[in-house]
Amino acid sequence: MEIEKDYYAILGVGPAATGEEIKKAFRALARRYHPDVSDAPDAVERFQEIQEAYEVLSDEARRKAYDRARAEAGLSDQAILAWELTVSRQSLPAIPEEQILYLMVEISPAAAMEAKRLPLNLCLVIDRSTSMQGERLNQVKAAAYQIIEDLRESDTFSVVTFSDRAEVVLSGLRGSDKTLARARLNAIRASGGTEILKGLEAGVEQVRKRKRLRAVNHIILLTDGHTYGDEEACLALAVEARSQGIGISAMGIGEDWNDQFLDLLATKSGGVSAYVDSAAQVRTLLRKRVQGLGSIYAQDIQLLLRFAANVRLESAYKVSPYIIRLEPSQDRISLGPLEATSPLSALLEIVVGPQKPGRHRLMQLEVTGDVIAIGRQGERLRRELWFSITENPTGEGEVPANLVNALNKVTIYRMQEQAYQALESGNAEKASEQLALVATRLLDIGELELAQAARLEAGRLARTGRLSPEGWKKLKYGTRSLTMGPVGGEG
Amino acid sequence: MITCPSCGRQHRPGTLFCSECGVYLPTGGPLRTEPLPEEELPASRANPWATGEGEVGVEAPPKTLRIIMLDSGRQVQLPAAPELYLGRLDAAHGIFPDLDLTADGGLEGGVSRRHAKIHQQGNRFFIEDVGSANGTFLNGQRLTPYLPHPLHDGDELQLGKLRLKVILE
Repeated sequence: MEIEKDYYAILGVGPAATGEEIKKAFRALARRYHPDVSDAPDAVERFQEIQEAYEVLSDEARRKAYDRARAEAGLSDQAILAWELTVSRQSLPAIPEEQILYLMVEISPAAAMEAKRLPLNLCLVIDRSTSMQGERLNQVKAAAYQIIEDLRESDTFSVVTFSDRAEVVLSGLRGSDKTLARARLNAIRASGGTEILKGLEAGVEQVRKRKRLRAVNHIILLTDGHTYGDEEACLALAVEARSQGIGISAMGIGEDWNDQFLDLLATKSGGVSAYVDSAAQVRTLLRKRVQGLGSIYAQDIQLLLRFAANVRLESAYKVSPYIIRLEPSQDRISLGPLEATSPLSALLEIVVGPQKPGRHRLMQLEVTGDVIAIGRQGERLRRELWFSITENPTGEGEVPANLVNALNKVTIYRMQEQAYQALESGNAEKASEQLALVATRLLDIGELELAQAARLEAGRLARTGRLSPEGWKKLKYGTRSLTMGPVGGEG
Repeated sequence: MITCPSCGRQHRPGTLFCSECGVYLPTGGPLRTEPLPEEELPASRANPWATGEGEVGVEAPPKTLRIIMLDSGRQVQLPAAPELYLGRLDAAHGIFPDLDLTADGGLEGGVSRRHAKIHQQGNRFFIEDVGSANGTFLNGQRLTPYLPHPLHDGDELQLGKLRLKVILE
């Protein structure tokens, strides 16, 4: 197999050709160039080339390996990122007022690009403040043992603990020497306060030292408390880490941690944040997170939007892997990493001002990302979206079901956000009403358990004017995960 | 502008879900439940004295209640609660049914905002019409308002013209 040769061109087929098309093309060419029938001077050479191309492309495994090798060598013009755009309407009425258009962007690895687990360069940053004492710290240690068990030769693993200061417990552990690692972890004791910045700085340092281009360089922060006074510095560090290709994920244990701060920290660095409601869950959730990190296909995915005059973005939400509000900076929206196991999608709410009838280009979209799975940086996709504006629209078409479904869940998540905002501004009655609505909508989509939680919190708010911190976090992280995989209750 | 049929909030054309109450706007309509012509509804009435008390006795394990909206095909499992309201959501007037039938064609089907409620007592469930405009029917028989009737697995409920199937398991 010679990857410099374009076997597809030799057989005269496209890169997406089916096995049947390849066979057909091969037979036609073989008949023409068979040395017995052809008197072309290069017939023998041509025939050999055709045969070689067919041998590779007709064998599924060899074809994949060939596609991959060519993509990695930058020889293929085949896309390595794929995307699908869904709009709520293809044509808009020409009306004198503003109207709403929804656009869903789904990004995934291109079909030919099979996922390969990337090496991990991981650092666990563990809060060992006094409140972690007992079950919490024990479960975190157990979770760390599990990570060590799962380590492969190409991975490196560090552990930093922090309270009022930070200590490096494990520095760049490789697959071997697991016994020593266990002993060091076991010696971690809880005491002192929670200064997240100290821990993060030491964690970033560990990951930076071992940073590789074709690896997932990541920090996972585990904490159960608030950090005081260093939030701004933490966020600045997260932004700086991201610019160096280092992501931060955060897991909050129990109910006392600051969810808004951890969410922001994760979003700014292109990681994720999660809520661990009982210590016993730490192990499962952390393992899942590490596996998710291992399947990262591309990172720092960005969406660039250029709108025509009179068109603007109203709001943007990430839908999958989980729902979160996206913060555009100018015309750029940062979507974080793309994991091979779950598609990355976002839903945009766009305001279209009055337009003249005719066919118009309302926006131009571009997606960029670093496809670390094959070591390609600055991969790019671009598309223009055209719409017809008509005086007399001929009946509204069906809105695509996947868009309606995603928007439904995002709406529920936003209603839950609004309830919280109402409470923040001192209106407990309004917040309670909002949560009752959230309960009804959750029941609509078969989310019985979450609906029940919303009902309870709505009742609690009406009676006491307050939310329970655990009920609130359950609702927030529960509604955020509505788009995660199939849920029960659907027939 | 378009108006949300449930809460009255104004939205720009093209909006799909009401940001305030979460209702799917393209299936919405005006707020008031119109009385349906009598001939479109079943004529027979349920015996108001049939309470089904004779069936009590055996302590069965707790049951879960599932409702299938026969017209839309949607299924919903109801949470365990002493009382659950069925109707159409109207946030502007503080009416929040537990099961909102707006999206199932509740308005066209003549479902009232407060239509019926389901009580749970131990393992048993009861349906009660709460003064709806077009009535609640149990297996084709109209219920006397405010009088609870026991529900059984496989029962067919009709709220106005909207048909629901009851699954108890």
